[in-house]
Amino acid sequence: MTRWFEDIVENETFPLGSHTFTAEEIIRFGKLYDPQYFHIDPEAAAYSHFGGLIASGWHTVSVGHRKMVDALDAEGERLREAGQEPGVSGPSPGINGMEFKSPVRPGDTVSYTLTVTGKRSSASIPGWGLLFNRISAINQRDELVYLADLVAFSKLRDYRMPLRLRLAQALTRLPGFSKLQRR
Amino acid sequence: MNPVTASRRHYEDLAVGEEITLGTATISKDMIFAFAREFDPLPFHLDEKAARDSLLGGLAASGWQTAALSLRMLVDAFLNSIAAAGGLGFSDLKWRRPVMVGDTIGGKATIVELHRSRRHPEWGVLTLEMDIRNQKQEPVMTMRLSNLVEVRDEEHAS
Repeated sequence: MTRWFEDIVENETFPLGSHTFTAEEIIRFGKLYDPQYFHIDPEAAAYSHFGGLIASGWHTVSVGHRKMVDALDAEGERLREAGQEPGVSGPSPGINGMEFKSPVRPGDTVSYTLTVTGKRSSASIPGWGLLFNRISAINQRDELVYLADLVAFSKLRDYRMPLRLRLAQALTRLPGFSKLQRR
Repeated sequence: MNPVTASRRHYEDLAVGEEITLGTATISKDMIFAFAREFDPLPFHLDEKAARDSLLGGLAASGWQTAALSLRMLVDAFLNSIAAAGGLGFSDLKWRRPVMVGDTIGGKATIVELHRSRRHPEWGVLTLEMDIRNQKQEPVMTMRLSNLVEVRDEEHAS
């Protein structure tokens, strides 16, 4: 959510929408990033225990990430329309866990949901907080496709930089500082 | 017997401690933009000015792209030469440093655990630790990944 860190409520759930996977896009992703036979070759895939073509788990997850980014944008847009300044989402330091539960086959529709399971301010990056997000993905038969525990940076609105840090930052803006630093 | 994987190494042929040297990939601006447009359209992956002003400090690949490229290296160097039967997931994925435009990534995967599936005698579970580094040998991503592998001899494999 491009909301400020302070406005994000723990245990709030956001539907992220759904995506229907075609054989064409499953194969295209597979050929680029995960060329195992059950992701790129429908005939050979028939011999696998899946019995046919399935999407790479990383493909399903990448689409889930896209859905999350779109939801962040939509929330930012909603706030802007309401006359408020939206917050800033940052990069992610990592993923605590990801479990692939059932395969995604051509024609399957996967629906994604995000729940904020926790938040705290960052110890290493002043002015930013950490969000702990769980994404669950289910298919049209209500089977769990994957479960992910993600971490993401989110900017604090009510942050005032300590004087010490503001001085350090001003120093880096002095002409010649970067040259000095390279030595 | 699965004819696709029959001649490949099976669960019985793998050992804890085996190290797999991965190939490399050099990340171009076009690669970053193409991946970001489809999967991660955040301003700091799509726009060089926004990237400079962000926490990343410059144009960097989506962490998911680093992960996908690392997976590709693992498939090419290892998974397509064993009777791999699908991923179970991963844990402790850490993006330790951004992968900046022009960086070359590579690294290694180490087998850290092997056990038979309790419910499926035809499978073993393989756990790998991935250590991905840039051209300066600085770590950019680490993770622990689990994959199923076909067992050749269900009766006798330990």
